[in-house]
Amino acid sequence: MAAGQRDGGIFHMQIAKILGKRDVRQLEQLLHRHYGCQVDLSRYRVFITRENRLWIASREVDIPFFRDMKRCYRIGIYFGKLKRNNKIKLTIEGALMVGKTATRNMAMIDEEEVMEYMQGNDVHRYRLVDAELHNFVLVKCKNDTLGCGLLREGYIESLVSKARRLVKPAASEPEEHEEK
Amino acid sequence: MHAHCIHVFIERIRAMIPDAEALFSAEQEWQSIRVNLLKIGRDELVERLHEQFEVKPIPWCEYGLFVRGNIAKMLEYFLGYYHIQGASSMLPPLALEPETQEMVLDMCAAPGSKTTQMAMVMERGIVVANDVNIKRLRALSHNIQKSGATNCIITNYDARFMYKQGFKSRAILLDAPCTASGRIIKDKHRLDQWNYHRIQHMSNVQKMLIRSACECLEKDGVLVYSTCSLEPEENEEVIAYALERFDVEIEPLSFTGIRTRPGLTSWQGRRYEGLERAVRVWPQDNGTEGFFICKLRKY
Repeated sequence: MAAGQRDGGIFHMQIAKILGKRDVRQLEQLLHRHYGCQVDLSRYRVFITRENRLWIASREVDIPFFRDMKRCYRIGIYFGKLKRNNKIKLTIEGALMVGKTATRNMAMIDEEEVMEYMQGNDVHRYRLVDAELHNFVLVKCKNDTLGCGLLREGYIESLVSKARRLVKPAASEPEEHEEK
Repeated sequence: MHAHCIHVFIERIRAMIPDAEALFSAEQEWQSIRVNLLKIGRDELVERLHEQFEVKPIPWCEYGLFVRGNIAKMLEYFLGYYHIQGASSMLPPLALEPETQEMVLDMCAAPGSKTTQMAMVMERGIVVANDVNIKRLRALSHNIQKSGATNCIITNYDARFMYKQGFKSRAILLDAPCTASGRIIKDKHRLDQWNYHRIQHMSNVQKMLIRSACECLEKDGVLVYSTCSLEPEENEEVIAYALERFDVEIEPLSFTGIRTRPGLTSWQGRRYEGLERAVRVWPQDNGTEGFFICKLRKY
């Protein structure tokens, strides 16, 4: 995790700011401008780390309490990263939340292209919905929002994180679950 | 070494149950998944999976499914619509009833199957998921992110000494690290690692863990202790240790739709009072991995 600062072998979340109501509203407006979506983030506590990463947690979570805890590794889920040009690069979970009501900056792909995207490869066949070049787009297949991509000239760069990528079947290894 | 291990292992199982040989003939052809209700409805997922797989419900868990086939390479898995989880490992969170809790402390949470299961059903409430191992913490973190559960906090304490940090909770899940002999049926290579010294070592660690859990438990709070081990030293012995030293009592457990057997009341000359109220899940009874579950309440 690059969400925090390394200290004695563990990462701690370095929360720069817990967003207030006005900041959250601005964030919702930013998402609306960019993706044309209606997202209600007031149901969450939203905070930003020193690396401009946006995280969300349930309202029941007492963030200052856990932030000050010596060995708190992580709170809530990673929503997306705020870029310098005021754009937001969304995680898969962030994209899923936004994608339900998004109307712009979207790229629709076919089922054949889904595998390419999930493996972290560029996608060359797509249909754009009100998208700007060199901008983040929501990648969708039918009703599923798959995540975020970067629209380049002639292709979409997959932004699926390495940990979430699907490995090619030939190179795959059996996955371990519930390992103790 | 392997042949000797099997012999000793079988002898021990034979001393516990009359149908020890049936253990190795347990049907294990179905994989089990848990629907992530935070992202998709059960019926919708069933409909999607039905196109490629044979799917049937897990009788004891309304959001659990048995699936035949390789389900780890599906789009739905990539998107976190389901989590691959042992069918009997869905039982400890059911025993804890997290939906009624404000906060649950999951002391040995990685890799996070039970954590995300609890987080999923808690409408208002949080899960503090703890694990000592940094590598396993990353797996936990990954699974929580993938589940989309916003009500989880991950901490990195040694659970054996968490009580020294002043942690208090009315609901604790202690799914203790164990020798995982209940999974030997699924993964026969585990027999190579099986030996009595390891069982004793794990038993000592588990006693330290349950001690810490009992100290962290508030009055009238509930603690669910579970392992995927079949060894009495890691199960009944640990509970007996807690009953002797702390103000806790066993609450009866019952699950519908799954065949369970009571905990052992004696083992190698030691008697365990009240342990018949604990639950053992044997692999041959349901075609799942073996499990031990016990619910304690502090008085």
